[in-house]
Amino acid sequence: MSTTSSAPSPSAATLLARRFSVRSAGVVYALILLVVVIATLSASQGRSGYLSSVNISNILDQTALIGILAIFMTVVLISGNFDLSVASTAALAGTVALKTIDGHGVVFAILAAVLVGALVGLMNAVLVQKVGVNAFIVTLGTLTAVRGVVEVILDGESITANTTTLLTMATHRWAMPTWLALVVAVALLAGGIAMVVRSSNRGRALGEWAVFLLAGLGLLLIALLRPLLLSQTVPTWLMIVLAVVTGALLRFTVIGRNLYAVGGNAEAARLSGIPVDVYKMGAFILNGAMAGVVGVLYAGRFNSVNPTVLTGGELTVIAAAVLGGTSLFGGSGYVGKSVVGALILFTLSNGFNVLNIGANYQNVVQGGVLVAAAALYTVTNQNERSKFRSRLKRSAIAPPAPEPPADAESAGSRVA
Amino acid sequence: MGIADPGAPVLAVTDVHKRYSTGTYALRGVSLQVRPGSVHGLLGSNGAGKSTLIKILCGAQPATSGSLAWQGTSVDWSTPAQALGAGLAAVHQHTPLVDSLTVLDNVFLGMREGLRWDAPRRREELAALCDRIGYPLDPDLPIAEMSVGGRQMVAIVQALARKPTLLLLDEPTAALSPHEREILFTVVRRLRDQGTAFVYVSHFLDEVMELTDHLTVLRDGRVVLDSPTAATDQESLVTAVVGERLARLEDSAPPVTRSCGETLLRVERLESPGRFGPVSLEVHAGEVVGFAGLLGSGRSELLQAVFGADKRARGQVALADSGPLRNTPRARVRAGLALVPEDRNRQGLLADWEIWRNESLPYLGRASYAGALPRERDERSAAEVSVRDLGIMTGSVETPVGELSGGNAQKVVFGKWLYGPARVILLDEPTAGVDVGAKVDILRLIRRQAELGRGVLIVSSEFEELRSVCDRILVLRRGRLVAELVSASTDLHEITAYASGLAGPRTA
Repeated sequence: MSTTSSAPSPSAATLLARRFSVRSAGVVYALILLVVVIATLSASQGRSGYLSSVNISNILDQTALIGILAIFMTVVLISGNFDLSVASTAALAGTVALKTIDGHGVVFAILAAVLVGALVGLMNAVLVQKVGVNAFIVTLGTLTAVRGVVEVILDGESITANTTTLLTMATHRWAMPTWLALVVAVALLAGGIAMVVRSSNRGRALGEWAVFLLAGLGLLLIALLRPLLLSQTVPTWLMIVLAVVTGALLRFTVIGRNLYAVGGNAEAARLSGIPVDVYKMGAFILNGAMAGVVGVLYAGRFNSVNPTVLTGGELTVIAAAVLGGTSLFGGSGYVGKSVVGALILFTLSNGFNVLNIGANYQNVVQGGVLVAAAALYTVTNQNERSKFRSRLKRSAIAPPAPEPPADAESAGSRVA
Repeated sequence: MGIADPGAPVLAVTDVHKRYSTGTYALRGVSLQVRPGSVHGLLGSNGAGKSTLIKILCGAQPATSGSLAWQGTSVDWSTPAQALGAGLAAVHQHTPLVDSLTVLDNVFLGMREGLRWDAPRRREELAALCDRIGYPLDPDLPIAEMSVGGRQMVAIVQALARKPTLLLLDEPTAALSPHEREILFTVVRRLRDQGTAFVYVSHFLDEVMELTDHLTVLRDGRVVLDSPTAATDQESLVTAVVGERLARLEDSAPPVTRSCGETLLRVERLESPGRFGPVSLEVHAGEVVGFAGLLGSGRSELLQAVFGADKRARGQVALADSGPLRNTPRARVRAGLALVPEDRNRQGLLADWEIWRNESLPYLGRASYAGALPRERDERSAAEVSVRDLGIMTGSVETPVGELSGGNAQKVVFGKWLYGPARVILLDEPTAGVDVGAKVDILRLIRRQAELGRGVLIVSSEFEELRSVCDRILVLRRGRLVAELVSASTDLHEITAYASGLAGPRTA
C-alpha cells in the first residue's frame, strides 16, 4: 500500500508549454522584445539602419568574446563553482601572446597564452577543490593577483606587436557560402524532424528538438532572405561553434550528464561513483584555457593590450550567465541561453548608441535588467520549489510516528 | 542509592494522553513520579512515545489531557521558557550551541540580568560550577574547536548553570567517550546526592541499570514497567522494552539457511579513527549479513568506509579476487560494490531529475554508445522495467524524484544499483521513513538479491527486520564488533542485549 505519488505522465502539450515557458525560454523572448523595441524606436526616430546586416553583424562581433567566456563560465557554474578570474586571465593571456609573438611566432604565442590560462585555471582548481577554500574567495584572489601580474609585465604601458597575424585572425571575416548554409539548414530540419518522428513520445521529442528545428528554420531564412548575415568575423563563428559543441557535449554525453550531477548534488554524485574532484577541477582548467583563447583574440582586435584591458569583464560574463537562467548554486544552465544573455547585454549597449541615449544611462539600465531577470527566475523557481516542498511534506508523513525522533533509534519492535 | 524519598515528588505526571492532529495517538495514559535527589530512567524504543513525553515535560508541547504537577502545584506549560523558569532544565541530543562563541558565552547564553554582560562575575560562576561538578572547563575555548563530547559537556553545564531542580538528559552519552561518560556519571551522582532530580533517557540499558534509582519503560504509548531499578534485572528490562509480541515474530520462520558461495567481500581491520574499528568481516555470495547496533555504534560510518566514501578510513577492503581496493567510491563501484545510503535525499538522489535519469547515473557508461553518448531510449525503458519490478507508484518515469513519496524514492535508489553489475550491495537503513507496504517490498527485494547470488550487507536499527532477512547478524557497539550471531538461532533479546551492553563481547 505505498502512497500514490505523482500526476500521470505529462502530456505532449504540457511538455511543449514547459519548454517554451517564460522560465525556460524567457531570455530569448526578452532578446526578441528588446530588438523589437529598439527597432521601433529607432525607426520612429528616422534612423532606419538598426536591423541592417551591418548592425547585426556588429552586435554579434561585439558580443563574441564575452559570449565565449560566458559559455565556459556556464560550465563552471553548472559544476557548482564560481570563477571571477576569467577576465584577468584573458588579459594575462593576451599580454603573453603579444609579448611572445614577435620573437617566437604565432603558434608559440597562442599555445603559451592558452597554457597560461590553463595554469590559472589549475591554480583555482587546486585551491577550491583540494585545499577547500570557497570558490568565490579563491577566484576573487586570483582575479586581483593575475591582474597584478599583467600590470607588472606591462609596467603601466600598453604594448603592441609587429606581427599582425593576431589582428588578422581576430578581425577576419568569413562568409559562409549560401549553398552551404542551405545544406546545413536542410540537414538541421531533416535531422530534427527525423528525431521527432522516430521517437516513442513525439510530443516530448518535439520539445527536446525544438531548438534544432528553429535553428534550421532560422538558418534557412537567413540564407534565403539575408545572405549578407552569413558573413561574420572569426570570433563570432568561434562563439557559435563553441556554443553548439559545448551545448551538445553537455546535453548528449556521459561527461555532460555527470557534470550536471556533480553540480546538482555533489554528495549523491560521489556516492554514485562519479569522480567529483576531476569534474570540478576540469571545469576550472577548461575555463582558464578558453579564457586564454579569448585573451588572444582580444589582443588581436587592436593588436595591443594595456594594463586595464577587460577590467570588469567578469561581471559582464556572470551577468550574461545569470540572464541566461544559470543557477548560481550549480546543477543547471544552458550555454546557449548564456550566449543569448550576452547578446541581450550588447544589444542594449548597441541600442543606446543607435538611439543616441547618453552612455551614462547604460549602466543603470543594464543593472536594472540583470536584477529584474534574476528576480523573475527566483520567483518562478520558488513557486516550483514550494510546490515540491508541500508535496514532499504530504507524502513524507508516514503513519504512525508523527515526527521523526531526532536520531533516536533503538532495539526492538516498532509500533506497527 | 539515592536519598530515601520523603515527601512530594518534584514532578508528577498523571494520566497524560497525547493525540496529534494527524490522528496519531502517541501517549495513552502515562503516569510517573520523579522524586528529588534521585535519578529516574526513561526507556522505550522508537515510536514508544518517549520523545513526545519529553517534549511535554519540557514545555515544548501541551498534553491533550492529563496533568503535570511541579513541586506539588499543577502547571500547564506552553513554552520551554516557562519550564526553565520553574526549574526544569533539559539537555537534548542536539542542543544548539553557538559555534563562533566561547564556552563562557554559551554556558550563559540567554541568561540576562540587566543590560551589562558582567564577564568577571560569569567567570567566577563558571569556575564555581565546574568545581561543584568536578569537571574543569576552559571558559575561553571556542565551541567550534571542541569535540562532540566536549560540546555535550558544555551543554550539560549550560543547563546546570540555571541551577535546576530537575535536569532531563536525553541520550547524553551517545556522543561521549568512556572517560567523559564516567565524568558525567560522577557529576550526576554528586548532584543527586545534593538533592537535584534527574530524568535520564537512554537506550543503553547497562548505563540505565548502573546509574538510575528508579525507572519507567514506555511501549506503544503506555507505561509497561515502573519500578525501582534494584528490583529489575536485564531480562525483564529487555522484555519490557522490546515487548511480548515479539514472541510471535520470532516464531515466524527465519530465513532458510542457503548454501553460501564464494567470499565476495573481504574487510580487514577497517577503522576510522574516532568513529569505529578496527573491524574485520566477510560476506559470501548469496548471503545477507546484518549490522545491528544503536545510535553511536558506528554502523553507518562502517558502511561508508567499506564503500570507500570515508577519506580517513584505514584498512583493507577487497572484492572477490581483487586486491585491496582504492579508497574512493569510484574504484569500489567499478569493482562491484553498491551503496543505498542512509539519507536518500542528501546522498542518493537528485531531486529535480527524473526517475530514469537518477536510475542510470552509476552505470551510465554501459547504457551509452561507445561509453560516451547515453542512449536515452534505453535509459527510459530500463527505468520502466524497474518501476514495474520494484512496484514504484508513479504515473511515468519522467516524474522528478522529488515528487515521490519516501518509499518510492527509496525504491528509485535501489533501482540505481540492482540492474547493474554490482556483486555486493550495502544498505544503510533501507526501510527508514518508508511506509509499511513499501517496507515489505523492500525486504523481499533484499532476499531476492541474495537469491541472485549477490552478497548483501545491511545496517538497520530495526532488529526484527534484520532477523527476518539476514543469515548472520553482526552486533556493533561503540564501534567494535561485540557479537556475531546466526539469525536462525538468535532472538531479539539476545541482539538487544549485545547491542546495549548487557552482554559482553562474544563471537559465534
